[in-house]
Amino acid sequence: MPEDPARPLLELKSIRKDFGGLRAVDDVSLDVPKGAIVGLIGPNGSGKSTLINLIARATNLSAGQVLFNGENISDLASDEVFRRGIARGYQEPALYFKMTVLDNVLLPVKDQRGEQPWYAPWRRYWQGDEAAHAQTAVDVLAQVQLLQHYDTLASDLSGGQMKLLEIARCLMGRPELLLLDEPTAGVAPKLAYEIFQQIARLRDDHGITLLIVEHRLEILFDFADYVYVMHLGNLLAQGKVDDIASDATVREVYFGD
Amino acid sequence: MINIDIVATAIAVLTLFGIYSLMAISLNLEYGVAGVPNFGKALFVSIGAYTAGITYTRLLPLLSGFEVIHPCGPTMGGALQLRSEIMATQPVAGFINLGLTMLIAAVIAGAVGFALSYVTLRLKEEWFLALVLLVGGETVRIVVRGADDFICSHNGISSVAQPFYFLDDPRTSSLLFMLLALALALLAYLYSERLIRSPFGRMLKGLRENEDVTRGLGKGISLARAQIMLIGSAIAAVGGALFALNTGFVNTNDFVVTLTLDVWVMVVLGGIGNNRGALLGALLIALMDRFTQVGAIALNMSGSDVEFNYVRFIAFGIILIWMLRYRSAGLLPESRLTTGAHDVVRRVLEK
Ligand SMILES: Nc1ncnc2c1ncn2[C@@H]1O[C@H](COP(=O)(O)OP(=O)(O)OP(=O)(O)O)[C@@H](O)[C@H]1O
Ligand SMILES: [Mg+2]
Repeated sequence: MPEDPARPLLELKSIRKDFGGLRAVDDVSLDVPKGAIVGLIGPNGSGKSTLINLIARATNLSAGQVLFNGENISDLASDEVFRRGIARGYQEPALYFKMTVLDNVLLPVKDQRGEQPWYAPWRRYWQGDEAAHAQTAVDVLAQVQLLQHYDTLASDLSGGQMKLLEIARCLMGRPELLLLDEPTAGVAPKLAYEIFQQIARLRDDHGITLLIVEHRLEILFDFADYVYVMHLGNLLAQGKVDDIASDATVREVYFGD
Repeated sequence: MINIDIVATAIAVLTLFGIYSLMAISLNLEYGVAGVPNFGKALFVSIGAYTAGITYTRLLPLLSGFEVIHPCGPTMGGALQLRSEIMATQPVAGFINLGLTMLIAAVIAGAVGFALSYVTLRLKEEWFLALVLLVGGETVRIVVRGADDFICSHNGISSVAQPFYFLDDPRTSSLLFMLLALALALLAYLYSERLIRSPFGRMLKGLRENEDVTRGLGKGISLARAQIMLIGSAIAAVGGALFALNTGFVNTNDFVVTLTLDVWVMVVLGGIGNNRGALLGALLIALMDRFTQVGAIALNMSGSDVEFNYVRFIAFGIILIWMLRYRSAGLLPESRLTTGAHDVVRRVLEK
């Protein structure tokens, strides 16, 4: 299929999610252009995390379609979605807490020969690859200032470090699209800003497209190109940062003023 | 007074240790490392024993140039005499038969383990598999017990001789069988240690810790679980074949749910996720088995009515509950085994 440069990397077409009688996401359609940093905001319970889960195929869609690079990924399982190039972070850090920082980032590397049981017992088949992945991990961990902690158990990291480790773990899968659900939750303000600087570098240096759920609007608005606003499962507004920041309805649902 | 023959006791305990080690290592790979609760260990062990029951009655005569005598019913005595004679006089046929027994047992058990877990784990969560295996194991046992021609229903197959039976000295024969069991246990230990220290082992531990995240990171988790069930079940079946040769019997009564419980006690007691812990658990249970046997005889001779087996079950129950409550990591907790990547990073940092 010839690639259409104007085609968004990710397209949601009227997606819906029902939890029993509750419609958590209601007919949402949105686009994420290649190379953009797109923000997704909205009050608590407005369906942001559910939307992320739907894109990553962690939950099933009730209706609608998710297109990635123009291909329908609505029926794929989450492992296949990751292999296609969509990585995601979690609102609550979901690391391998009993593993070291290094093992956390090495696990998601794709197509590891040593993951096949018939090669696994024989080191010579995968040792070289593993060393190369370790080198990559050194670079990635250095980027998020976790290299010195490579041998630390993930459970011993601070909240901010956990968020950074989660991003590093995603990067090892070489994603095209990164979905982040509140990457600064529970993080001190100064570190929160640094995390966003890191995120911006992912786009600038690696060309990774980002869809970010964030409650800290003042920081998000400094970095995002475009913002979608959700409210009670619906898309309430969308636009460039300045328009959203001054939008009256957005201010009303979000800040109650 | 009972006389205890120290050497014979040591050989018996160590042989049992080797056999139990195979079972414990297999459960440790499945549950300890990958978190798959295999409550059908007795099923996979029994597949090994039943295979021995078939090969020693149907294959062995063919390998040594005799016609097969049906092992059950009126010809039972003749068949028994024939296999004893072959084992006493034709060691090569005996060894080939043993090798084929272990191979066939491993292949069948591996295939069953793979198929059952792949199907059930794709449909439902892991405890569903535990239930399927628990019920399935008992069902298979009852079916085999009811089948007249398979291993002669409730009579079972007796006089399944050990491979070194042809030697004149029974002590040397049992010593060599002990060495065989220990050698196979050592092989399984080294193999599973390598597996744990590989990217495959890392993925299994990831699966154990967080299944959803692991799938979200691109891993085919149903396949990985089925693969470890294949490996574990194959090892357990080899243990089952040795188990049958060790007792000399293939009987469905040996493969009730309590065998599964025994193997779980070994792993929980020794240390979940740690192969050395599994070995320690196997040793402790082998010792305990021996002492309960001696205890049972002593109790019996003293004229008591108490059934010693019950004492054993109660003791195991208490051990399990106590360990899970106060020392859930086991006597030898899991250590951090890695693929060697940490050394690579350490060297980079030292530069
Ligand atoms: N697994 C679930 N089962 C039932 N209801 C759910 C489930 N997950 C989410 N919900 C409901 O769906 C709605 C949207 O939840 P969601 O977590 O997507 O909101 P959110 O925008 O991420 O909120 P927050 O800002 O608090 O993280 C909420 O009413 C929530 O209670
Ligand atoms: Mg949320």
